[in-house]
Amino acid sequence: MTIVFLTMSAVTVLGAVLAVTLRNLVHCLLALVLFFLGIAGHFFLLRADFLGAAQILIYIGAVAVLILFAIMLTRNITGTEGGRGSLGGAWWLGVGIAAALAGLMCAASRRSGLAEKLPYGATEEGVVKEIGRLLVTDWVVPLEIMAVLLTAALIGAVVIALEEERKR
Amino acid sequence: MDAIYQLIHAYCPTMPDLLALVLAILLPIAIVMGVFLTVFALLTWVERKALGRIQNRRGPNRVGPVGLFQPIADGLKLLTKEDIVPDAADKVVHFLAPVLVVVPAFLVLAVVPVARGFVPVDLNIGVLFALAVSTASVLALFMAGWASHNKFSLLGAMRGVAQVVSYEVPMVLAAVVVLMAAGSLSSVTIVEAQRGLGGWFVCKPWGFVGFVIFQLCAMAEVARTPFDLPEAESEIVAGYHTEYSGFKFALFQMGEYVAAITMGGITVTMFLGGYLGPGSDLPKIGWLISACWFFAKFGIIVVINIWARGTWPRVRVDQLLGFAWKLLLPLSLVNIVAMAVWHFSPSKLVGWVASAVLLAVAIVALVRLNAGAAFEKRSYRFTS
Amino acid sequence: MSVPLGYYLVLGAVLFAVGLCGALTRKNAIAVLMSIEIMFNAAILNFVVFWYYLHNGALTGQMFALFAIAVAAAESAVGLALVISVYRHYKSVDVDEMKALKG
Repeated sequence: MTIVFLTMSAVTVLGAVLAVTLRNLVHCLLALVLFFLGIAGHFFLLRADFLGAAQILIYIGAVAVLILFAIMLTRNITGTEGGRGSLGGAWWLGVGIAAALAGLMCAASRRSGLAEKLPYGATEEGVVKEIGRLLVTDWVVPLEIMAVLLTAALIGAVVIALEEERKR
Repeated sequence: MDAIYQLIHAYCPTMPDLLALVLAILLPIAIVMGVFLTVFALLTWVERKALGRIQNRRGPNRVGPVGLFQPIADGLKLLTKEDIVPDAADKVVHFLAPVLVVVPAFLVLAVVPVARGFVPVDLNIGVLFALAVSTASVLALFMAGWASHNKFSLLGAMRGVAQVVSYEVPMVLAAVVVLMAAGSLSSVTIVEAQRGLGGWFVCKPWGFVGFVIFQLCAMAEVARTPFDLPEAESEIVAGYHTEYSGFKFALFQMGEYVAAITMGGITVTMFLGGYLGPGSDLPKIGWLISACWFFAKFGIIVVINIWARGTWPRVRVDQLLGFAWKLLLPLSLVNIVAMAVWHFSPSKLVGWVASAVLLAVAIVALVRLNAGAAFEKRSYRFTS
Repeated sequence: MSVPLGYYLVLGAVLFAVGLCGALTRKNAIAVLMSIEIMFNAAILNFVVFWYYLHNGALTGQMFALFAIAVAAAESAVGLALVISVYRHYKSVDVDEMKALKG
């Protein structure tokens, strides 16, 4: 089991690191898709099957395509960014801050005493049915709010990105 | 997969555990891929002969008896062609796009129960996994168009993406009706819920409408005629696979055709009762009879696909998207309501009549509402 | 036979840090949005990890993660629409050039 976890983690971290460092944006997007697949694999390892499938459906099926459309619509005429220009000025500062934050979080997790816990137990069958039941009984208000939010985001994104034709 | 693991343990108890596990994983994969690749090759021959007969000609009849070796000849031709990559193309993305079209097509076969007890992996989210993985091919379409560095490829890819994304929504909603009736996402449970005389979901009013919607959306998802706007040879210079030649082109065609086959398998599982049929429960040879039933129903879906391809003209892009958003989507929502009415009605007769009437009214209303806008005469800007 | 919780917490921390590094250093606005997606996914992974290890029979972790995925998708849609709209005005997506509110 540890080997499976380490392999999946290696894939995920590799995808994330490549998505952050590659120069060509479309290659970054492909690395991001690899990262999403790694996260979905982790969800399957953690017995959250429905979430893993939802991750693939939403992130790889929709968000990645959305990012690709945005890349296509904001392309510079001259092509991709040149030279060492993919990173800003003081890039080592950003890396330092991120490393410090990671170290802080790892130290906190070790200090909290949770780090050696083993899983609660095997999850039973019928989780999807339970999620469905919860969505319409206990979590119905967040569900409706989510519906309103998604509709607002849809309309808002279309309105924001619409060509302004009458401003001439 | 578990069954094969037990079989290996029963017949060769001395085999080490890891080897038995690896064999239990690889053997179903090999069998499924072998069977369905052969089915794919045969079906391309069947389709070309059938299309030829619909068009009053014979179809391929030179290579082997009745033209049976035509798929082999096609494969050899495409394999030996030169692999041309445009100079300004993005090499990595250009290489990966055909691979990412083929992989989801085959991955969905893991949850299709081909015979009683013969599903490679019985996931408890089977249908959701199939739908999620089949939407992952959208990215490959766009990558193919983008990597070719060709304006027409990009335009064809954008049309393809719009088409696939638009038809995903009614497809998932039509599948929801089946999930409501079966109470589970696992494909084996869905098949088992269709037992009994008239138990197939297609025999119920909401099931029939759901079957039609799902089949139309599956045809549009894999870009088969009449929805093959992104890739037809007379449109946009063959769309997103203009710049592909040789084996990569073969991979595109194969991925798309296998996706059509796989969606046919999912349709059979969800609406036509999978491997169920008289005689599929017999103790010794029941699995063989159930496999025959599955492939017979699968053949019906293939015939419907080929017939639609030979008979219907190609749909225009605005008609395509209007059909998905203005007709299929409201109809699939009404279908869900009709299924709820059928399920919760006090008596069976009332349920059948109420849901059938609701669906008939909805279909007539939606078709009447859409008839004017979809097929009106085009107005041109300069010549009218 | 499973992995102890600490491994997953370290994985979540590393992924979040990688996303943060990308959001702080990249010059292209869309690359910054991609790094924000990485951070979102690391946090959602954390939710599911804590659900798996400490859940006591309730499904709250999975529900929260589901809603978080939906919110992240909505946010990325609006964010990318904003980037496209800004591109139309500035003719570039360089983050260093969008400093009209500075000073």
